[in-house]
Amino acid sequence: MYEGRYSRAMCRGCAVPSVETMTTDPFDLDHDRAPLAARVDGLFKTYGSGDGVVHALDGVSIGIRRGELTAIMGPSGSGKSTLMHIMAGLDRPTSGRAWLADTEITTLDDLALTELRRRRIGFVFQAFNLVPTLDALDNIRLPFELDGRRPTAEEAERIEAIIESLGLGERLRHRPHQLSGGQQQRVAIARALATQPDLVFADEPTGNLDSRSGREVLALLAAAVRDRGQTIAMVTHDPVAASHADRVVFLADGRIAADKPRQSAEQIAAHMLAADQVAA
Amino acid sequence: MSASTGAAASWRERGTGASVLVAGISSAFGVLILTGVGYLTAIISADPTVGDVRAVRYTLSILGTVILGVSVFVAAVVTANTFATIVAGRTRQIALMRLIGSSARTERRRVAGRGLAVGAVGAAAGLVAGIGLSYVLVAVLRGYLSPEAVSGVTYRVLQPSLLLPAGVVVLTTWAAAWVGSRRVLTVTPLQALASSTDRTTADVRHPVRTVISFVAIGIGAALLAAGIVVGLADPGGMVVAFSGGVVSFTGIVVGSVVLMPPVLRLTGRAFGSGVTARMAAQNALRYPERSARMTIGVVIGVTLVTLLAVASESTKAVLASASGGTLDPALDEAMNVTSAIMMSLVGVSAVIAAVGLVDLLTIGIVQRRRELGLLRSLGLSRPQANRMVLLEATHVAFTAVVVGVLLGIGYGWAAAQSMLGSVVGANVEEGHTLVLPAVPWLTVAVIAAAAAVLTLAAAAVPSRLATRVSPVEALAAT
Repeated sequence: MYEGRYSRAMCRGCAVPSVETMTTDPFDLDHDRAPLAARVDGLFKTYGSGDGVVHALDGVSIGIRRGELTAIMGPSGSGKSTLMHIMAGLDRPTSGRAWLADTEITTLDDLALTELRRRRIGFVFQAFNLVPTLDALDNIRLPFELDGRRPTAEEAERIEAIIESLGLGERLRHRPHQLSGGQQQRVAIARALATQPDLVFADEPTGNLDSRSGREVLALLAAAVRDRGQTIAMVTHDPVAASHADRVVFLADGRIAADKPRQSAEQIAAHMLAADQVAA
Repeated sequence: MSASTGAAASWRERGTGASVLVAGISSAFGVLILTGVGYLTAIISADPTVGDVRAVRYTLSILGTVILGVSVFVAAVVTANTFATIVAGRTRQIALMRLIGSSARTERRRVAGRGLAVGAVGAAAGLVAGIGLSYVLVAVLRGYLSPEAVSGVTYRVLQPSLLLPAGVVVLTTWAAAWVGSRRVLTVTPLQALASSTDRTTADVRHPVRTVISFVAIGIGAALLAAGIVVGLADPGGMVVAFSGGVVSFTGIVVGSVVLMPPVLRLTGRAFGSGVTARMAAQNALRYPERSARMTIGVVIGVTLVTLLAVASESTKAVLASASGGTLDPALDEAMNVTSAIMMSLVGVSAVIAAVGLVDLLTIGIVQRRRELGLLRSLGLSRPQANRMVLLEATHVAFTAVVVGVLLGIGYGWAAAQSMLGSVVGANVEEGHTLVLPAVPWLTVAVIAAAAAVLTLAAAAVPSRLATRVSPVEALAAT
């Protein structure tokens, strides 16, 4: 039933995905018609059984639009992390389906999912993003290396440009423990962008940073969306972080509570407060 | 507070089982050596043709003490290393206790106290097992020796002196835990709060130890050379060379934290430039001190086994050529049996070291759960995770074995040369004999096979853990 509706989504699984360059149609600014980088349909995720059963996700259906920075917000336990983990191929739903572009990922086996993460998804976590025994450049190249290959000339050029734009040029031979938190996070962003993945999944990317480094990281993520057409889904509970997003999705109790276009930090905070009062 | 529940939990902690096993093996081995020496002395005493019984007993006792000493030393190194590794993995927990108000000394005493308990349990189990095996040993020896020699000899296995090795093991385990828990003192309460990034490839310098090690190796090498030169004229060169061997090898063991990491770096390059291979090679170097101690025990055991094998084989070759090509079958048999017994005795320390190595590699990988989760989420497949763990184990185990075999060949040759340089035989050059190091390939093959088994054992548990790591779970854990 979805094939017709989402037929505009590019078939990135058909070609070698990382070689393909992202094209953004300058006339396709209508977000409602923008192709989807990822989507889920009727997701349920339950933990435990009997009286102790927890519904982390309670029937969630949503699409992440290509070329947008989408913020997923919600209090602890709202299911936002679970949702993102399933979308990023890190976890499996109890029931429901998930797609990355045109690839249904809920049916993939572990190896296929691993390769999908390697080639078509980028990750920026809150902390402990980098392999401590590898220097910054090796960390950035890790997804290619895990694929058993060197970056192609085109990819090498892209990596160079990313490193340049993130201001990492002089730190490339440093190990993670020689870098500041903000620098480590920039290396993680470079790695996430290097393969030009269908989706970059950022899990509280500013959670461990001081406010200045945090702002820098958010600006870099926003710039990747603006300049490279990168699709990013960011889990956060920080209204300031979410105000950088093109779209803000609110989760509560495993359901989507609201889905709004770009918001100011004040509007987001107001929404969160209102939701909190309803709950109380 | 809940000291009893804490103690109960600590028995299940990884590393405890291996430490108990190490203490148990040492204590059982000590009991066996005492029984063996006691029984042989009893038989010799009963033999009217042997004149100086005291000298024989003295020699056997010294030999037994040295062999037991080596394995107790290796066991202590293994235990100290295990405790240091456990402490490193519990930094946060210790920091939390410090934050609540516990003093560093209390925390250290708690860790060391566990060492005492581990030593006591292991030594007691080892004592029981050792006594059981002693009865087997006496029965085997009785069957092996000629009936005339055995007849009329009664030997009581159960003797109060058997408590001695068990007591020594308890004390050394306790002391080793105390040494290994040194790092507890450096844990600050703040480490409970800070999202401290893992410190890797810590540059640890040991200026004093380095100097002592290099001086010992230098003096030892000079003595070895002198022994070989003296040996060309007189078999007494063996004594000089022996002291040189002891001094230089002690230097190597003392300086292992300085000497082993470069060797590990070198062998790590052999795995190629793939990212899993590079990460595997780097893993051995992230705690160079730990890896050095982990390998040196195996190096000690393998060196001694190889030394005995090479020395015995070279001696046989020289004696054969001196007596016109073939060795007297009775002498050949006697030498083979003697060297086999000696090799299996020193091999016990290699086994103890191997237990430690398997355990430490496992703990190391368990402590890197989060990193494995990160790698899995970034696209490290299960087969790749497996390969990485296997390569890491191979790296450490084979480096230790290769270093041990090379050292053993060198020392074994030096021993044979210094002892037999003056024997006139086939390879005569101006009245001296040049002994060629005869390498007993069978022994080397057995050692290589043991190394392979060791590697697989060291990789088995960690690779199961590594492939089962769920990225989500590992990333959520702090």
